Formats: sequence, structure tokens, C-alpha cells
Amino acid sequence: MNGVLERPLLSDAPPVDWPVMDDQAPADPRAQFEEQALPFMDQLYAAGMRMTRNPADAADLVQETFVKAYSSWATFTQGTNLKAWLYRILTNTYINTYRKKQREPYQSAIDDLEDWQLGGAESTTATSSRSAEAEAIDHMPASVVKDALQSIPEDFRLAVYLADVEGFAYQEIADIMKTPIGTVMSRLHRGRRMLRELLADYAKERGITPAASRSAK
Amino acid sequence: MTDCGCDKARRDLEEYLRNEVCHTNHTDITEHLATCASCRDEALVARTLTEVVARACRETAPEELRDQVLVRLRETQATHH
Repeated sequence: MNGVLERPLLSDAPPVDWPVMDDQAPADPRAQFEEQALPFMDQLYAAGMRMTRNPADAADLVQETFVKAYSSWATFTQGTNLKAWLYRILTNTYINTYRKKQREPYQSAIDDLEDWQLGGAESTTATSSRSAEAEAIDHMPASVVKDALQSIPEDFRLAVYLADVEGFAYQEIADIMKTPIGTVMSRLHRGRRMLRELLADYAKERGITPAASRSAK
Repeated sequence: MTDCGCDKARRDLEEYLRNEVCHTNHTDITEHLATCASCRDEALVARTLTEVVARACRETAPEELRDQVLVRLRETQATHH
């Protein structure tokens, strides 16, 4: 194996027909925007549903988001995280238009609450029943999970959504929510703990509590 | 669960599962989970919760929304120039 074999492999590729390279011939920005941004519509709509809680507002929110994103498309740097960029616009739009009118009084104070005031799921579940708890959660109907998510404070819900559903990294969530990373972590932990407790309560009410159905027998 | 590594594993479990801990911590917690069934169950609950939330929140945007957006984009383009 020597140079004779290596060179042709690399240089044989025809140097033409690479649309990626045509910097000089700017593609139609709208076509480019539609091609890159519109595939995120389902995801943005799903997030909008969790934010506004109803299909009509979610659709309006997504529409506004795309219009705004398109207006500032020139400021988006190709190759950076488009999904995070779109979510930032979605979140901003939501906060500025929808949340203003329905802002609940506890929102600003919620981050200051102590953990014990929010309750904790961990203490209510015996060590031995945790795998059963996982199983109960796994079988939870989607509507119950969505209701539970809907009932936790908004900032917590958003942190949980961005992390669990969208898989954003803490730094990305911090950018989207415009909060320090520490706040993101705290909201995520607390939100998830509340969620877990709500699901455990639901299971208990339905008599499908892991402790009752398993460890007792 | 005191000095056996449980405290640390529980404290950083969320971050561990999301790959938000440094390499050293990650290794420590991985090792701890390998030997501690209780923390493994805790991790299972955490992971399941994430999966269930992600599953429950899946939505498909209505067909007409796509059309509406395309129309709005075209209008926006028109007013730009």
C-alpha cells in the first residue's frame, strides 16, 4: 500500500455539481427557509400545544413563529442549531403575546420556594417499589401525563418539556428561557419531581400503585 | 445510603442521564450504578419518566397550518421587496 493507490481515490471525484459550494449564486431565501425550517413544524406545534393548551392558539403561535423567523432569517448563521433558534423565537413569541394575559401570580415567586414546600416524590416511594413505579409510569395514558404536565407551574413545565421532549442541553435551555443554567436545573428537577408525584398519586387513586399491587403480596 | 456513593449518584442522577456531568463524575456514577440496584431503579424511574413525557407530547400539526404558513411566508416575502 503506497501513494499510487491513495491519490486517485481522492482526486477522482468530479469537481462539479456541488450545489453546496454555490455561495455566489444565492438560493432563494424563502425556498431555503421553507426547506430547512418547515420540517420543525410538528415539533413547534407540539410545544405550542403544551404552552397555550389549545389547538387554535398553538397554530397561531406556530404561524407567528415562522413569520418572525423568516423575517430574521438573514441573521441566522447557517450551520448553527436551527432547532434551538426556532425554539427561542417560539418561546419569545409565546411569552410576549400569550403569556402576558394569562400570567399567573405565583410565576415570579415559584423559583424561590423551598424544596419542602413543593413536596417530593422520592420520599413517598419505598426503595423496593421503584422498579414497579417505573412500570406504572410506563403504562400511564398519554392524556394523564399531559394533564399532569399541564398542572405544574409554567416555567417548570417548559424546562421539563425542552429537556425531556426535545432533548435540549442545559445550555440551550438556558438560552431559550433566558435564565442561568442553575435555574434551568432547579426548574427541571422540581418540575420532574412534581410530575412524578402527580403520576404516583394518579396510580394510587386508580389502585395501580406499585406498592399495593406488588410488594404487598 | 450514605458513604457508598448513593448520595452523589442520586444528587447528580438527572445530570448524569443527560450527559451533563464531567467525565470523572460520569465514570464514578456509572461504576456506582453497576453495583447499586437501588440507584439503578432510581435511574430507571428517571429514564422512564423522560420517555413517557416525550411519548405523550408527540403531536402532528394540522394540515391547514402548513398551508397557512406557506401563504404568510409568501406575503412576507412580497412586502420585503
